[in-house]
Amino acid sequence: MAAVLDVTPESAWTALLRRLQQDRVGAVSLGIVAAYLVMIFFAMAGWLAGGWSEEVGVPYANPAFLGERPNLEAALQKRSEHKGRVPDLRDIDPLAPKYEEWAKRTGELKSTQRERSLTLPWGGDRWGRDVLDKAIKGSQVSIAVGVVAALCATLIGTLLGATAGFYGGWINDFLEWLYNVFTSIPGILLVFTLAAVLRSGPLAAVFASGIWTVVIILSVTGWTGMYRLVRAEYMKHRSREYVLAAQAMGASGLSRMFVHILPNVSHVVLVQLSLLVVAFIKVEVILSFLGLGVPVDMVSWGTMLSEAQTELVIGKWWQLAAATLFMAIFLTAFSMLTDSLRDALDPRLR
Amino acid sequence: MVPTLAGVVLLIFILFKLFGGDPAQILAGQVASQEQIDAIRHELGLDQPWYVQLGIFVREILTFDWGKSWITREQVSTIFLTRLPATLTITIPILLLEAAMAIPTAMLVAYYRGTLLDRSVMALCVAAMSISFLVYIIVGQYLFGFELGWFPVQGWSDSFWKNLVTYAPLPILLAALVGLAPQTRLYRSFFLDETKSDYVRTARAKGLSEPSILRKHVLRNALVPVVTNISLLIPGVFVGSFLLEIFFSIPGLGREIYLAVNRSDYPVIQAVTIYLSVLTMLINLAADVLYSFVDPRIQLR
Amino acid sequence: MSALVAVRDLKVSFVTRQSAVEAVRGVSFEIPEDSTLALVGESGSGKTVSAMSILRLLPENAVIDRASRVEYGGENLLGVPAPRLRELRGREISAVFQEPMTSLNPVLTVGEQVAEVLRLHRGMSARQALERSAELLNEVGIPEPRARLRAYPHELSGGQQQRVMIAMAIANEPKLLIADEPTTALDVTVQRQVLELIARLRERHRMSVLFISHDLGLVGELADAVVVMRDGVVRESGPVERIFRAPQDPYTRALLACRPRLDARPRRLPVIEDFMRGQPIPSEPLERPDAAEPLVEARHLRKEFRLRTGLWASRSLLAVGDVSFAVSRGRTVGVVGESGSGKTTVALLLMRLLQASGGEARFDGTDLLKLKPSAMMGFRRRIQIVFQNPYASLNPRRSIGRTLVEPMRIHGLGAGEDERYRRARQLLQRVGLPEDAMQRYPHEFSGGQRQRIAIARALAVEPEVLICDEPVSALDVSVQATVLNLLLELQESLGLAYVFISHDLAVVKYMADEVLVMRSGEVVERGTPEAIFRSPQHEYTRKLVEAIPRGLEGRLH
Repeated sequence: MAAVLDVTPESAWTALLRRLQQDRVGAVSLGIVAAYLVMIFFAMAGWLAGGWSEEVGVPYANPAFLGERPNLEAALQKRSEHKGRVPDLRDIDPLAPKYEEWAKRTGELKSTQRERSLTLPWGGDRWGRDVLDKAIKGSQVSIAVGVVAALCATLIGTLLGATAGFYGGWINDFLEWLYNVFTSIPGILLVFTLAAVLRSGPLAAVFASGIWTVVIILSVTGWTGMYRLVRAEYMKHRSREYVLAAQAMGASGLSRMFVHILPNVSHVVLVQLSLLVVAFIKVEVILSFLGLGVPVDMVSWGTMLSEAQTELVIGKWWQLAAATLFMAIFLTAFSMLTDSLRDALDPRLR
Repeated sequence: MVPTLAGVVLLIFILFKLFGGDPAQILAGQVASQEQIDAIRHELGLDQPWYVQLGIFVREILTFDWGKSWITREQVSTIFLTRLPATLTITIPILLLEAAMAIPTAMLVAYYRGTLLDRSVMALCVAAMSISFLVYIIVGQYLFGFELGWFPVQGWSDSFWKNLVTYAPLPILLAALVGLAPQTRLYRSFFLDETKSDYVRTARAKGLSEPSILRKHVLRNALVPVVTNISLLIPGVFVGSFLLEIFFSIPGLGREIYLAVNRSDYPVIQAVTIYLSVLTMLINLAADVLYSFVDPRIQLR
Repeated sequence: MSALVAVRDLKVSFVTRQSAVEAVRGVSFEIPEDSTLALVGESGSGKTVSAMSILRLLPENAVIDRASRVEYGGENLLGVPAPRLRELRGREISAVFQEPMTSLNPVLTVGEQVAEVLRLHRGMSARQALERSAELLNEVGIPEPRARLRAYPHELSGGQQQRVMIAMAIANEPKLLIADEPTTALDVTVQRQVLELIARLRERHRMSVLFISHDLGLVGELADAVVVMRDGVVRESGPVERIFRAPQDPYTRALLACRPRLDARPRRLPVIEDFMRGQPIPSEPLERPDAAEPLVEARHLRKEFRLRTGLWASRSLLAVGDVSFAVSRGRTVGVVGESGSGKTTVALLLMRLLQASGGEARFDGTDLLKLKPSAMMGFRRRIQIVFQNPYASLNPRRSIGRTLVEPMRIHGLGAGEDERYRRARQLLQRVGLPEDAMQRYPHEFSGGQRQRIAIARALAVEPEVLICDEPVSALDVSVQATVLNLLLELQESLGLAYVFISHDLAVVKYMADEVLVMRSGEVVERGTPEAIFRSPQHEYTRKLVEAIPRGLEGRLH
C-alpha cells in the first residue's frame, strides 16, 4: 500500500510540463513558438520593425545577397513618374474603390523623403519598404488575430457546449438547432455575409480600422467545432460518478459544471484552442488577401501574399518567400507543439 | 431539416436587418434626394413592419424570385443558376480526388506505422499544412501556367467538357494537393484507432495476415468516421473553390459573391448563401443515408 | 499424458517511451493434451500476457525475452516465422476473449466472420463455409442458426456473442483453445451456461483448454490443473484437487479464503496479509443488531424513463416498477440483481440524483422525494453514497485533501479550514490511509485505496445512511475482502444503516440482514439471506443461487 506513495505528488499541469520536456520534438517546437512570442513582444514595443511602413529602399529593392541583379522596375518607375496615365480599370477591378483610399493613406505615410538604398537585407516591395520588417510586423498582426479570435471562439464554444451538454433537455435542443444553423451555412459564405454587413452597415465606422472585424468574423463562424467537442465531453462527464458524488454532497449545478467538470475537460479545450489558432491564422491570410481582413494600413502575412501574386510574375519572389517562411515555420512549430500537447495530455498514455 | 432551414433564413434576415446598411441608401447612391430614397424604400417594402419584410423575404426564397441585382441589373435567379455549374465542375472533382488519394495513402502509412516512412510522411504533412493555400495557388499558377505552360493560366468556356479537360485540371489538382495532407493525417489516425480494437486481435487469432486484416476488417470500420468527415468537409470545400474561381477567373458562385460583397449587392449575397446552405443540407442528408450502408449499427428511422 | 504446449521461462516486458515494465518474469507451465489448465491470478498477475504469448497476440509495445520458449509439436512458437504462425492461429490454436461485444467486428455479419476462418484454413467455397457456419452456430447453442448468419453482432445478446466467438474458435477443430476470462463480462446466470458449453465442447472435440480467470471458484468447477500467478511469477501449480484441498502457497490459501463463504459469517473476512504474515485466521462470528424503528423506508418506488423516438413521439421505459424496503440503524438491506435489473436506479432515486416517477422515500419520517431542493440540502448530509467504479468516482484533477474538505465546506461543518483539514486527515486514518495522501491525486492510488478515499469522502459529512452501489465489484478479490471489512467495522462503530447493492450474491449474503432480489425493475423475492439461500422460492432466485461458483463442489462433468 505504501509502495505508490514514494513519488512526489504532482498536479496534472506539472505532470504535463514534465512530459513535454521529455518529448524532444515538443521541446524544440516550444522553443520556436517562444522565440516568435519574444519577437512579437519586441515588435509591439516598437523595438523591432517599428519603421516597417517607411519607404527605405528603391521600389523592389534587391535582397542584399542578390545586390548585382538588375532592377528594371525601379529604373522604369523613376522615368515614368509624372508622365503617362494608368488605364482606367475601375469597372472591372474589384479593388477599385480602395485605390483612392489607399492613395490617400500612402500620402499620409509618405512624410519625409530620404535617401533610398538600392538593396535591403531581404529585398523591398513595390514601394521600397523593407520586406523583412514587414514580415516581422506581419507576424505580430497575423498571430494576434489568430490567438485573439481563437480565444473568443473558445469562450463562446465552451460556454454554449458546457450548457448544452450539462443541462440537456430543451436548452440542449435549442443550442443544437443553433449549431445546425451555423454549420449548414458554408463557412466562407457566412464570412462573406458578415463582411458585407459589417462593412456597409451602421457599424462600419466602428470596424473600419483595427483587427476587430476579422476577429468577430472568425469567432462567430469558428465556435461550432469547440461547442460540439465540449458538449460531447460534458455529456460524458455529467453522469460520471465523481460528478454524481458532488451532487450527492449538495454541490450546485454551476459548481459541478465549472469547478468539477471544467478542469477535467480543459485538456480537450486546450488542444482544440491550439488547432483553432492554426486554422484562424490560415483563414486570416485568405481574408486579408480578399480585402476582408486586416485594414490596409496594417501588414499581415495575408496582405503580403496578396501583393506577391503580381510580384512573382515579374520575378520578385522575396516577399512571397518571406511571408511563406515566417508563416510556415510558426505554424509547423505550433502544430507539432499541439501534437506533443495532445500526447502529453492523453490519459491512455499515462 | 425544416427547423434548420428556418433558422438559416432567420439568421440571414436578422444579420442584414440589424447590422446591414440601409438598402435604399445603397441603391440610391450617395447623391439621392430624400424622395428618391423613400420611393425605393416603399418599392422594397422597407416601410412595412419587420414581420411583413420577413414574409417578403421568405416568399422570395420559396418562389426563387429575388428581383434584380442592385448593380448589374441581372436577375438574381439567373445569376445563381448560370454560376452554379462552374462551381460544381471544380468542387465535386476536388472532393472525389482528395478522398481517392488520401484514403489509400493513409492506409499505407497506417500499415507502416512507427517506421521511418510513416514518420517522414507525417512530418511532411505538417509542413505542407503550414503553408497557406494562397501560396499553393500563386506558385502553382505561376509555375505550371506561366513558366512551364502545361495548363492555361486562366479562363473558362461554355463547354462543360472543354472546361473539365482544359481549364479545371490545374485548379482541381492544386486544391486536391492542399487537401491531401490534412486528410491523410486524419484518416491515418482513424485507421490507427481501429487497429487497436479488439476485433483486430480476433482477426489475428484467426490467422489472417496483416494486409488482409487491414483490407477486410479495418477499412470498413474506418470508413465510418471517414464518411462523417467528408460530409463535414463539404462546406469547407467551397472556400477552396471560391479562391480558385477568383484566381483563375472562373465564372462561378464564389467569384460572383466576392464581387457582390465588394459592391454591397445584398440580394446576390442572400440568395447565394441561402441556396448553398440548402445544398449543403441536402448533401448531409445523403451522407446519412450512405452512413447506414457503411455502419449496420445505425438504423434509419 | 504428454504435453501439448510447454511454456518455458517466459519473460515479457512492456516498453513505453519512458520505461520498461516486466509483466511476466520467468513463467513455466505445461498444457497436457485433452485437458483443461487454468491460469488464475488477480489483475497485474501476468496471466493474460502469459497466455497471449503462446499465439504472440500481444500489444505492439510488448517485448518477449529471447531465451523464452513456447514449445508446440517440436517448434518454438516464439521463433517461427510469421506465415507459419498464421497457419497455426485459428487452425490448431484458437482463442476466445473477455469482451465479446468488441471482439467481434461490428460491421460484418456473424456468418461472414465465422465463414472467414473456415475459408482461410480449409479452402472452402463461400457457400460451403456458410453451410458449415450454420452447423457450428447450432453446435454452440444459438437458436435459428441459419437466420442468425445474417445478423450483425450488435443484434445478439452478450451470451450469444460469446457463443459466436466460441463457434469461430472451434471451427477448425483446434488442439488448444485459449479462453481469456470468457465469462467475466457476462451476467452470472449466462456465465454458467457459457462455462458448461466450453466444458462440453472440450470433451466432445478432445481438445485442450487454457482457461484464464480471476475467480478460483469458477476454476474449481472446470479445470483439471491450476497455475496460480501473482506479480508475473507462478506461485503454485498442480492438479485441481490438490490446489483446493491442500494449497501449499500462502497466497493460494488466501485467495481461497478471502471470498465470503456461503456457510459462515465471520466477524471479519481473512485477507492476504493474514496468510502472508502467518497471522491467525479470524473465525469469530458476526453479531448483528435486531431490526428496530426504520431510519429509511422506501415505499412503492417507481421510475419511468421517457425515450424520444422522434420529434414528437416518445415511449416510456420502466426502470423500477414497485420497490419497497426499510432499514434501521446499524443494519443492512441488500439488493441483488443482474445488469438491467434497476438496482442502481433505486440508489439514484433514494439520493434524488434521479427524480422518481412515484412512491415515497421516508427518512426519519420525512418524504425526501417531495422536499424542495433547499430543504433537501439538510438531508444530503445525512444520506451518502459510495459508487462502483473507484476510477471514475474521484475527480482526477483534485487532490485528495480538497476532495475530502469540499463536502464539509458545503455543509458548514467544522469551525474553519484548519479544523476541516484536521478532520480530513483523521478520516484518512480512519479508512486506513496515510496522512500524506492529502496532497496526492487519485491516479497515484490503487483501486482499493481509491475506494477507501470514496468512503472517507462519504463519511466526511457524518451521514447516518450509506448507500453502497456495487462498492467492491471493480476490485480484485483480495482487495474486496479488505474493503468489506472496513465497511463492517465502520457500521459497527458508527451505527450506520447500509443499502448494499451488488450483483454478487455471495457478497450480499455476507453483508446484508435482509435481501431483495430484483429483476427487470421488479422485486421478485425478499427475505433473510439464510432463507433465500436455503430455499429460494422464485425460479429466478434459484437460478442465481445455482450460478454462484462453488469450486470443487460445483464440478461440471
